[in-house]
Amino acid sequence: MNPNPHPNPGRAATAAADTPVRARRWRRLSIVRRNYDLYLLLIPGLAFLLLFKYAPIYGLVIAFQDFNIFKGIGGSEWVGMQQFHRLFTSHDFGTVMRNTLLISLYKIVLLFPLPILIAVLLNEVARMWFKRAVQTIIYLPHFLSWVVVAGLFVNILSPSTGIVNHIIQFFGGHPVSFLMDNHFFRSVIVATAGWKEVGWNAIVFIAAIAGLDPELYEAARLDGANRIQQMFKITLPGIASTIMLMLILRIGGVLEAGTEQILLLYNPTVYESGDVLGTYIYRVGLGSMEYSYSTAVGLFESAVGFALVLSGNFVSRRITGKSIW
Amino acid sequence: MRTKSVTDRMLDVFVYGLLLLLAVACLFPFLNVLSKSLSANWAVLSGKVGLWPVGFTLENVYYVVTDGIFLNALKISVFVTVVGTLGSVLFTGISAYPLSKKHLPGIKPVLVLYVFTMLFNGGMIPSYLLIKQLGLMNNLASLILPGLINVFNMLLIKNYFESLPESLEESAKLDGASNLTIVLRIIIPISMPVFATVSLFYAVAFWSDWFHPMLYLNDPSLKPLQLYLRDIVLEADTSNQNLNLNIDRLMNLSPEGIRNATVIVSTIPILLVYPFLQRYFIRGILVGSVKG
Repeated sequence: MNPNPHPNPGRAATAAADTPVRARRWRRLSIVRRNYDLYLLLIPGLAFLLLFKYAPIYGLVIAFQDFNIFKGIGGSEWVGMQQFHRLFTSHDFGTVMRNTLLISLYKIVLLFPLPILIAVLLNEVARMWFKRAVQTIIYLPHFLSWVVVAGLFVNILSPSTGIVNHIIQFFGGHPVSFLMDNHFFRSVIVATAGWKEVGWNAIVFIAAIAGLDPELYEAARLDGANRIQQMFKITLPGIASTIMLMLILRIGGVLEAGTEQILLLYNPTVYESGDVLGTYIYRVGLGSMEYSYSTAVGLFESAVGFALVLSGNFVSRRITGKSIW
Repeated sequence: MRTKSVTDRMLDVFVYGLLLLLAVACLFPFLNVLSKSLSANWAVLSGKVGLWPVGFTLENVYYVVTDGIFLNALKISVFVTVVGTLGSVLFTGISAYPLSKKHLPGIKPVLVLYVFTMLFNGGMIPSYLLIKQLGLMNNLASLILPGLINVFNMLLIKNYFESLPESLEESAKLDGASNLTIVLRIIIPISMPVFATVSLFYAVAFWSDWFHPMLYLNDPSLKPLQLYLRDIVLEADTSNQNLNLNIDRLMNLSPEGIRNATVIVSTIPILLVYPFLQRYFIRGILVGSVKG
């Protein structure tokens, strides 16, 4: 373990006469001193982290208080697990958890494999102009805001003037109020999320495929493997570790079912099928100003996500030897 | 050229067909609303508009781009996006460079501090209370400061720096260049693809942000475009008051047409820059994500 790529011969020689521990410490110190300007560059980032990332994490302690905004964290009363008890026994918890898990699982099961499929298909395209055009088009929805996407879909799904209902009526059906109907709301959420992100999410897998060794395909061709066999024997195994890592990260976000998206698309009629943890936190925390209770809900969400990433990573390291860090 | 086997031909049909379908599905909602925004009111209401305008008119678009509230919202959004993006790229680049020097003592723990915040965060309410306590409510800084460093973007830049050949810096060091000279003269100029990529990501994030302005701003004169859009497009019950139409213009205009035109006009800035930056971000991501 030599952390120093630019050893200073003079100092290293005198230091070597000393004990090894002191020598190492001396060398580290001299590296730090020589690169003090690089360490100075760390300061703005650390200040940012402290203020905007770690201060809110510290703020999570109000989940164990009955927080009063005028008394602050120091002056508010500590109530232990009371907020969590209230959450787990509340009537809303069942509905909100069910909606969160259903929407998230639909999103994972239906939308996680699609980007992989897209990347594999794009890899089979020999005409570069076609490949580039398709990529340009399918990345585009990612760059539209959720407000715009919500606006587009509210428009095309409108029961009176939307094109989807015109098509339904053309085939003799009755118009559907997709965004007012608890039977359809979750499907609309999954479909709009898919429309916005599926193409963009393929980019990671496209990058992974681009990193594969072309000689593998050459060798497979010489052995007489056709393109479908190459797809299953080279492309997919080649990006398996990327798929695994993305899946772990995705599963870690299972309790974040799309807060901004749902806040924009839902209305009280579909709370029953569309209210998820994030929207519930928003309604209770900022609508009814129940800061402690909603922070407890948020802490529950973050803690479960964190635990899922850690255990997913552990399992992945055991099975495939790959981990996200 | 070898003749293709039957299975290869069938595969091609499948591949091209499916991708074409996908591209059409991505464009369809956008083209439909675009056509509606350029169509006459009667055509929209009678459901005649598909992917091409019927009874072409620019009235709706004209109404939007001359509306004072829209222009103010646009101004706010442009300001937040430009200042936010410049600040973010600067701060993120500054932070990423020392983190790319893994051999320096103490760098790894700092990296862990960053990565941890990707996996665990304080969430909506503590962040809201922080902004309140800092006195940043109804201040555009509340939209810029908390988003100054996105850890994912920082890792992209850091990985890009790490992928640069070490010999570049070595030889400059032998010539007696300081760290600062190396960064300004060598690192930044050859890292343009990743900076372009990250600039685009930041710009889009600031431009598209609806959630934070919704949380932190309630002064109507500070409303950025996304909040304005949300009011016009999604608050169906209040839209007619918001639009405040004159009787004489109602002949050609309708709340529906104006809504469509607002959606379209507000996406134009993104559509204008996207094709130019697109060639960069594929390269930027390719290199930046090699090490994950």
